[in-house]
Amino acid sequence: MTRRKMFLRMITASLLRRRSRMLVALLSIGIGATILSGLVTIYYDVPRQMGAQFRSYGANMILVPEEGSMTEEQAQQALESIPAAQVIGAAPYRYVNVQMVRSQLSFVAAGTDFTQVQATSPYFSVEGSYPSGVRQVLLGKEIAQTIGAKLNSVIEITYRPSEASASGGKAAPGATLVGSAEGFSTYPVYVTYTLDQDMKISNLTVNVDTQTAEYGGRCADELYLKRFLGRDYPFTGDESTDVLSGATITSKAIMEAIAGAEVTENVTAATGNTMSMQVTGILDTGGKEESYIFMSLDDMAALTGQPQVYDVMEMSVSASAEELDSFKTAIEERHLGITPRLVKRITNSETAVLSKLQALVFLVTAVVLVLTMICVSTTMMAVVTERRKEIGLRKALGASDDSIRVEFLGEGMFLGALGGILGSLLGFGFAQIVSVNVFGSSITFQPLLLPLTIVVSMLISALSCLWPIKRAVQIDPALVLKGE
Amino acid sequence: MIKGVLIRQRGKMLLIAFTIALGASLATSMINVMLDVGDKVAQELKTYGANIVVKPQDSTLLADIYDVEDGGEAIASAYLNEDEVGRIKTIFWAFNIVDFSPFITSSVSLPSGAEATAVGTWFNHHLDLPTGESLDAGVVSLRSWWDILEGAWIDEQNPEDAHTVMVGTLLAQQEGLHAGDTLKLTGKAAVEEVTVAGIFDAGGDEDMEIYAPLDMVQRLSDTEGKIASIEVSALTTPDNDLARRAAQNPRALSSKDYETWYCTAYVSAICYQITEVITGSVASAVRQVADSEGAILDKTQLLMILITALSLIGSALGISNLVTASVMERSQEIGLLKAIGAHDRAITGVFMAEILLTALVGGVAGYFMGFGFAQLIGHSVFSSAIEMKPLVIPVVAVLITLVTVAGSMPAIRMVLRLDPAEVLHGSKA
Repeated sequence: MTRRKMFLRMITASLLRRRSRMLVALLSIGIGATILSGLVTIYYDVPRQMGAQFRSYGANMILVPEEGSMTEEQAQQALESIPAAQVIGAAPYRYVNVQMVRSQLSFVAAGTDFTQVQATSPYFSVEGSYPSGVRQVLLGKEIAQTIGAKLNSVIEITYRPSEASASGGKAAPGATLVGSAEGFSTYPVYVTYTLDQDMKISNLTVNVDTQTAEYGGRCADELYLKRFLGRDYPFTGDESTDVLSGATITSKAIMEAIAGAEVTENVTAATGNTMSMQVTGILDTGGKEESYIFMSLDDMAALTGQPQVYDVMEMSVSASAEELDSFKTAIEERHLGITPRLVKRITNSETAVLSKLQALVFLVTAVVLVLTMICVSTTMMAVVTERRKEIGLRKALGASDDSIRVEFLGEGMFLGALGGILGSLLGFGFAQIVSVNVFGSSITFQPLLLPLTIVVSMLISALSCLWPIKRAVQIDPALVLKGE
Repeated sequence: MIKGVLIRQRGKMLLIAFTIALGASLATSMINVMLDVGDKVAQELKTYGANIVVKPQDSTLLADIYDVEDGGEAIASAYLNEDEVGRIKTIFWAFNIVDFSPFITSSVSLPSGAEATAVGTWFNHHLDLPTGESLDAGVVSLRSWWDILEGAWIDEQNPEDAHTVMVGTLLAQQEGLHAGDTLKLTGKAAVEEVTVAGIFDAGGDEDMEIYAPLDMVQRLSDTEGKIASIEVSALTTPDNDLARRAAQNPRALSSKDYETWYCTAYVSAICYQITEVITGSVASAVRQVADSEGAILDKTQLLMILITALSLIGSALGISNLVTASVMERSQEIGLLKAIGAHDRAITGVFMAEILLTALVGGVAGYFMGFGFAQLIGHSVFSSAIEMKPLVIPVVAVLITLVTVAGSMPAIRMVLRLDPAEVLHGSKA
């Protein structure tokens, strides 16, 4: 029988015969290795997973055209500079000024891609739903309150090329005038009328959507409005245009609005395109988006009669600050006529907070690892110390100190390797559970971690065996055997 | 007898005590860090800026809608009163208000003839509250992501800085302005001769604006004592179902729910309380900041709970493992005690007393070690101490006792069941 065979047999026999003790040692190394591989996996995965969470703050990079607007093609080319896997969302926006037909109020309308918006701005809180069909809009909460629009109501929007919508014109026959005044509980009422050939009021319409329907709402009645028709411009009220009983505040406001109305444009210059759209959702963000009207890019193109172009492209990219900078340079270098800009508030803050979080997980991992490893080695030490008698017996039988050391170390390292393999698997399982529970996504397996865990467990078990073995070997076998 | 064992078996008992100390310190530090991590991370997330905006009730039309048509004259006719701003620090959740600042905007013309938006605000405004507290509030900390390219922040407590402004980098480039330059701002109601204190890069729309002390912009636009909005940065609890229901209409809640909601730092509760103290105001959550913050806090807390659970299970297994091993090792002693006629119960009592005494020593030492580890983590990560909750002491004590008892009892039982003769002979272990 060769030496090596004997060595192996001794180790396996010792492991098998002393099953319970060895199980204790194996368990302890296994726990250590589980914690090691589990925590290190989490540590490596946390920045990536947490980074994805931080994307809920919205776009961290925007693309703006150098001048005018950019085409879809330009934007696509710029997007190619960033690995597709890291782009969480890229929402194009086209902004134009539009006018509400009834109230004649101007608002900003934004044409966009709603699937992308949900990815780049997950914090948008929509009452109702995002538009999914044609002629549908998502209305900012502020606008909804201002014009008194509710879910599923239909609004009419007019778009005029900017040069046609000059205000403050001269009152002349044929001119359209718009006015507004504060009605019930300061909600505004709006009036629109035109001047006929004799400078008299005609075609009067009022918008009292913001008023209570049973009271102020009655002012929209034609019978009531009739009393203003044919009046001279500029308008001043008298007894015959007196307030409507039960709607005092609103009717006063209407008179005020008619008196204070200003000319918006000459009727002949009106070349606007009007569309009726259904409100499918009301947007609440607490930010400036609440004063925009959002619609699909197709609707926007139909409304403006212009091809699909973008004014801005908001992008949410899952990347570190350095990576973002390199993407920015990459896009700049392609000279696409597009300027990439980083949203500083988001990128700077993200870097600051993420690095803290990473440091936290690192320190926690380090503390837990150190303590666990010491725990493992105390257990190993106890297990080996217990076997002093066996060592004494071997020595008494004539085994050399070296052979005893080698054998015990071999045993320890064998246990270490076994525990390491066990621990890597359990640790990965644990990290997987954490990842799925916390971040709702699975973890990537770090192949390097398997050998690392095994080597570290072997090292720790070998190191913790060294000292008790040394002590046992030094002692006189006779004393050890006697049990002193 | 116990004393004898403890002294004779010093080495082994020390080893056990040490391991228990390690386990206890791990439990102490992890539980403390876990309990405090929410507050700490929330504090870090304040770098994202305000999560609540307070506006006048009547200004349903934002100035930025009208910018387009009317050339920058804000339609918002209603204002808030500047002298009420400090009241934000007197609400129920005053302690959670980290920072706040009032704002007013006005359009001014520059010497070149160009129009620019001047934003009046606090930089590091000193406030003495009726509660006796005093604090510095303003945009210096509320806009922590700004880079100051030239010069420095305006120091409101320095009277020399009263006639200085901060200029956005894009506007500075366009107008050729540098820190130290003087320029004339012509507003609706007054003309001001000012010095540029600094140039900032905000990476947003602010880069085209001028930031000036509040009173200067009020003089320029003839709105003394008035402000257009207040931004508030508050530490909040992530929203849950109750908070969402309350946000719709607090009055629809049952009185018990209302109380729970009002006394929890939900963003909607804080908004509601701000509305109560500032006349004619509407406070609303900036969802971009408030919602994201909630999501991140939830995740971090859950992550820490799971890591803590893992390390607790790990150290519990480690300790009970070692205790089991140490009992098995002393099977001969147990055998001997049985052979000379000791009752099972007496033996168990003696052994348990020994081990629990060791655990007590280890546990106390471990608590203080854990205290140290927690502070190490707190200081190196968040540069502030981790609050040590007294609750942790009984939790760790119960944990350690359970673990040691669970680790030793089965082992003692097993050894007791063996025949003393066999054990003493040493043929079976």
